Amino acid sequence: MAQVLMKDLNKKYDEVHAVKDVNLHIRDKEFVVLVGPSGCGKSTTLRMVAGLEEITSGEISIGERVVNDLPPKDRDIAMVFQNYALYPHMTVYDNMAFGLKMRKFPKTEIAKRVHEAAEILGIQELLKRKPRQLSGGQRQRVAVGRAIVRHPQVFLFDEPLSNLDAKLRVQMRVELKRLHDRLETTAIYVTHDQVEAMTLGDRVVVMKDGWVQQVGEPLELYSKPANRFVAGFIGSPAMNFIEVGIKDGGALWAETAGFRVKIPPDRAERLKSYAGQPVTVGIRPEDLRLATGGDSSDHTFDAVVDVVEPLGSEILLDVKAGSNTMVARVEPTVRVKVHEPIRLALNTARLHFFDKKSEAAI
Amino acid sequence: MNPRPWWRKLGHGSLLVLATVYCLFPIYFMLVQSLKSAHEDVFGNPLIVTSPTFENFAELFEREGEVRGFVGRALRRSYPFLDWLENTIVVFAGSVAVTLVASILAAYAIGRLRPPGFRWWRRIIFATYVIPHTILFVPLYQVVIRLHLDDNLLALLLVYPTLALPFCVWVLSTHFQHFPREVEEAALIEGASRARAFWKIILPMSRPVIVASGIFTLGTIASDFMLASVFLLSGHNQTIPAGLATMEVALDELLAVAGINLMAIPVVIICAVFARGYVRGLTAAMVEGS
Amino acid sequence: MLEGATTAPSQVSPAEVSHRYRRRSRAREIATAYALLTPTLLLLSLVLAYPLAWEVWISLTNFSPLNDGPTAFVGVANYRHLLSTEEFWRSATVTVVYAVVTSAAKLALGIGFALLLARPFRGRALVFLAIFLPWAYPASVSVIGWYWTLSPPIPTAYSVFMGTMKYAVDGAFGGGAWAFLSVILFNIWRGSSFIGVFLLAGINAIPPELFEEALLESKSRWQRFWLVTVPLLKPFIALAIFLSLTTAFADLANVWMLTAGRIVFPVVGTHAYWLAIKGGQYGPAAALSLMLVPVLLATLLVLFRIFDSPEATHA
Repeated sequence: MAQVLMKDLNKKYDEVHAVKDVNLHIRDKEFVVLVGPSGCGKSTTLRMVAGLEEITSGEISIGERVVNDLPPKDRDIAMVFQNYALYPHMTVYDNMAFGLKMRKFPKTEIAKRVHEAAEILGIQELLKRKPRQLSGGQRQRVAVGRAIVRHPQVFLFDEPLSNLDAKLRVQMRVELKRLHDRLETTAIYVTHDQVEAMTLGDRVVVMKDGWVQQVGEPLELYSKPANRFVAGFIGSPAMNFIEVGIKDGGALWAETAGFRVKIPPDRAERLKSYAGQPVTVGIRPEDLRLATGGDSSDHTFDAVVDVVEPLGSEILLDVKAGSNTMVARVEPTVRVKVHEPIRLALNTARLHFFDKKSEAAI
Repeated sequence: MNPRPWWRKLGHGSLLVLATVYCLFPIYFMLVQSLKSAHEDVFGNPLIVTSPTFENFAELFEREGEVRGFVGRALRRSYPFLDWLENTIVVFAGSVAVTLVASILAAYAIGRLRPPGFRWWRRIIFATYVIPHTILFVPLYQVVIRLHLDDNLLALLLVYPTLALPFCVWVLSTHFQHFPREVEEAALIEGASRARAFWKIILPMSRPVIVASGIFTLGTIASDFMLASVFLLSGHNQTIPAGLATMEVALDELLAVAGINLMAIPVVIICAVFARGYVRGLTAAMVEGS
Repeated sequence: MLEGATTAPSQVSPAEVSHRYRRRSRAREIATAYALLTPTLLLLSLVLAYPLAWEVWISLTNFSPLNDGPTAFVGVANYRHLLSTEEFWRSATVTVVYAVVTSAAKLALGIGFALLLARPFRGRALVFLAIFLPWAYPASVSVIGWYWTLSPPIPTAYSVFMGTMKYAVDGAFGGGAWAFLSVILFNIWRGSSFIGVFLLAGINAIPPELFEEALLESKSRWQRFWLVTVPLLKPFIALAIFLSLTTAFADLANVWMLTAGRIVFPVVGTHAYWLAIKGGQYGPAAALSLMLVPVLLATLLVLFRIFDSPEATHA
């Protein structure tokens, strides 16, 4: 059983409270991604699990054991670092064998495991080379191989793909996912890239300023963000946010200068208490489209095109409605010009509302 | 990059020649002199040797076990050169070893373990250079006598390391301080204790800086004459510099010059072999220090 | 499917254990650090600190084998007496001039060497080796060789030439000047090599992008030298000068020792030795020697302040 439990985890550096009351239950064989902007505490949390940072308060358990006072080498974990951290004076084989040698594995067992890992990663020909003779992608594979041979209970990844170029990153992402399916070992993965988080994680943990913002499966975070930060962080291009007031005129309306939308009845319940108050509305670019004749004025509004960004598979329109700027994702067949006034329709089922002060989802 | 004009290249080239001559001439001169017979030394051209001979070297070794004093009507001086050579090797190798071990340990303590006030430790250790040994040799000699180490090579083994320790500690501790921590952390996660991580990972990766420290120590120690002459008194315990000073220069100058070369050549060769490593190590230390 | 290790359950109070672990392991770390520092500190205390303390004590007494009675504590009387003698000021002046002249020359030549070697060219490795050699050549014996060459103890082919030079220089500057000059020349020869290699390493440490940037902005190599090279080399220049000061004194002491004091030009170190060994006045000798220390210390601080060493501030 290799579940990882974090209970009331805190980390303080002198004055800085880097990790605040983190509670996470990571199940056996689960691939969990910690994601967030730099400084949010994700790396620190990972390093506390690894034993590379002292825990200020709280408890971490791996498997059945509480590991707070165990040194890294006794926690049965393996880690892949952002800049690979390979030993430059050793061959690839020795790099991968180092951990096993430290634990006094017999030579035959070491050879078996190293070759097995090398085959999985496709680096058999590189075993006799030194790190400086390898490309970035190859080095990364060796770093992963070094982690695999130890058959640890948990894999820890600290932004392993950040040093690779974009194309390689996409390729390695797929390989890592395949690897996890094959090895079925619990993994904790840290990244600042929400695309990596969404594609790799069984569950994603969004962090900001040391707090866990939301934990859930990727699609859940996408469609039901718990607060404004998660809503804006997940999904690219980011969600559009508009400050509106709630008007009660028979039905509930969200309105501001240049933008007026009727709130669907299933949401009206909860928004009634906000009547007369300002609220933040969120709508994703993919939930905006050009209005057709059949769209009622309940869910359409006028806008002026500011910038047209053709991507081939779609077009991003930067528009202005009143004093609000928004991005809309439309079909590649749409033909509009800059400064052209258009009418946009939105999918009211996909509207998100956030309390203006607490930023929590309503 | 535009090709440089010919007169620029000429200027550069002639400066190079000048620099090379300036640096090598004294060495060349002494080497040449050791290869001259006494006759040629007096009457020949001082700059070249027309009929080189090894007789000076040979005689230097011959003088090993001879009796001092008058034999017949000639004053024979005996110079236990082999003893000097042996002692020199022991003292130099030993001092470099002691210096490196002590400074590596101290540098690891300051650079990686970082006890409170570690920066001050580093500064204080370096600041001991403001105390030149030349002013201390009277009380130092007292210490040596008190420890019953007078006329003993161990005295030098104790004192020589202090000539280079401050520099080595500074350079090595800065290097360890900036050593990429992920590599050490990776080793720790893989099952190495801190000590094994240091021995198997950090130390091998630090070879350039260690080489630089070693060569600096060798060059610094090789420049000491005063301490060796003060501490080592009897011929059989002396190192080459101390021994050469006891030679009757008026009579055996050429022998002494031969002795000089015999000591210089191996040291120079060792330094030359590691010269590039020395610069690389210094560069590495400077890159990290700034 | 990879197998995981099996583990045993344990019950601990989390906050307390992590706190205890943290304090225990850090305390152990600090203890190890001090243990590792011990050999170095022991050597330095034994060889430098204790003798220094002894010197300070002696300088405050009238300790001397010539005394009739017991040694008396005289406070700063030795120092006061020294400062009033003309001899002291003469040797102090000579010392300062010697230090400044040699340092300046070594620096100039060293910078020249470093710049010569900075850019790659055919045969650079050999020229580098040539420039490295003077420092690599053991000074303990080569200073002897230099001295004998410039003041030949036996008649040789060049002794007439040297004799003439000696006569001229001694005539102009006083007895012992020629010998003194030979030490100066030697020190400069050796020191320029050291500083040259040292600064070459410093130049190598400068990221090439800075030079490329400067190429775009400046017109002349001289300008680039001042804009890029000098500011970045400043701390290393300071370090190199400081280290070469020590060798300046050591070289002089070597020759003095070798020739049993026949160099008449008094320098603080040799003057002290003369007072102590020859004159038996250990008190004033110690006082004199110790004058060097605060001066060197001040020089160290000034050098590093002027050159604003990032190493010193970074460290």
